[in-house]
Amino acid sequence: MIIVTGASRGLGKSITERLISNGENVFGLARSTKNLDIESFECDVSNYKSVKNAVREVKKMKLPVNGVINVAGVASMNLAVTTDESTVQKVIQTNLIGTIYCCQLFAPLMLRQKNGVFINFSTIAVPLALKGESVYAASKAGVEGFSRIFAREMADFNIRVNCIAPGPIRTDLLRGITDTQIEKITSQQVIPRQFQKSDVCDLVELLIDEKSSSLSGQVLNVGGV
Amino acid sequence: MKTEKAKEIVIGVITEALESKCEVAGDMQLIGGESLLDSMKLVEVCVLLEDLADDNGFEFDWTSENAMSKSRSMFRNVNALAEEFAKQSNGE
Repeated sequence: MIIVTGASRGLGKSITERLISNGENVFGLARSTKNLDIESFECDVSNYKSVKNAVREVKKMKLPVNGVINVAGVASMNLAVTTDESTVQKVIQTNLIGTIYCCQLFAPLMLRQKNGVFINFSTIAVPLALKGESVYAASKAGVEGFSRIFAREMADFNIRVNCIAPGPIRTDLLRGITDTQIEKITSQQVIPRQFQKSDVCDLVELLIDEKSSSLSGQVLNVGGV
Repeated sequence: MKTEKAKEIVIGVITEALESKCEVAGDMQLIGGESLLDSMKLVEVCVLLEDLADDNGFEFDWTSENAMSKSRSMFRNVNALAEEFAKQSNGE
């Protein structure tokens, strides 16, 4: 079974759909599961108790957990000086701390079987140091740092941990971003075009596949930097 | 669960993790320089205890602040871990 956080919308939804179409058994986590027609559980990843409850729910199913894909996240496109306190808290709490909670609390389910994959989500805004994304990029830089070290801690248990760092992909997170702004960002990538959700799904497929058994502690920047 | 029973369980699990290479005593340190368990082995012990707790109908939480506290850590020695395991089994 593969667990996807943020499974009800955007990238998480696309990844869930792709995995299901590949015949995977997916368990979705989301703050609201109303729109999810797969096995799912309401979970706010920024809340430790909520994640613990989700782990309990998964344990009850008594199925091996082969992967956890931490997609749940919130964005904030604003200058640091004009970002209000609650937004700073929310972005760090959801993107960074939420990812840490999901990794540390779901890991024991994989430690037992000595096999598994974590895929965490960063952003190309980290290496490109994009103006107006300081708080968001800070939260994701934290995810990258955490993932690199977590990968080392999990390696003895044959558990791989990697990050995918997409550029501007058309999802709700990019509401209000103009095509010109997107082009300005993608022009800084090695492959200077806008990638799609399906490209990210391809990378997820690669990272959960045994063919990528040599990859851990890596950040795959979509489009290259 | 009584502490003595919990101690028996904990010693059994640690002995298994150490592949019966040494005798496990109640005052054996579980963390720090004198511990025979490395951090990964300690994780294995915790996961095994979690499974045994499941079998016995309770949840063993080894990630709580109490577990990690330096002065009161349940990992300071075998006896402390057994006490905590017994406490949690009794819903304390």
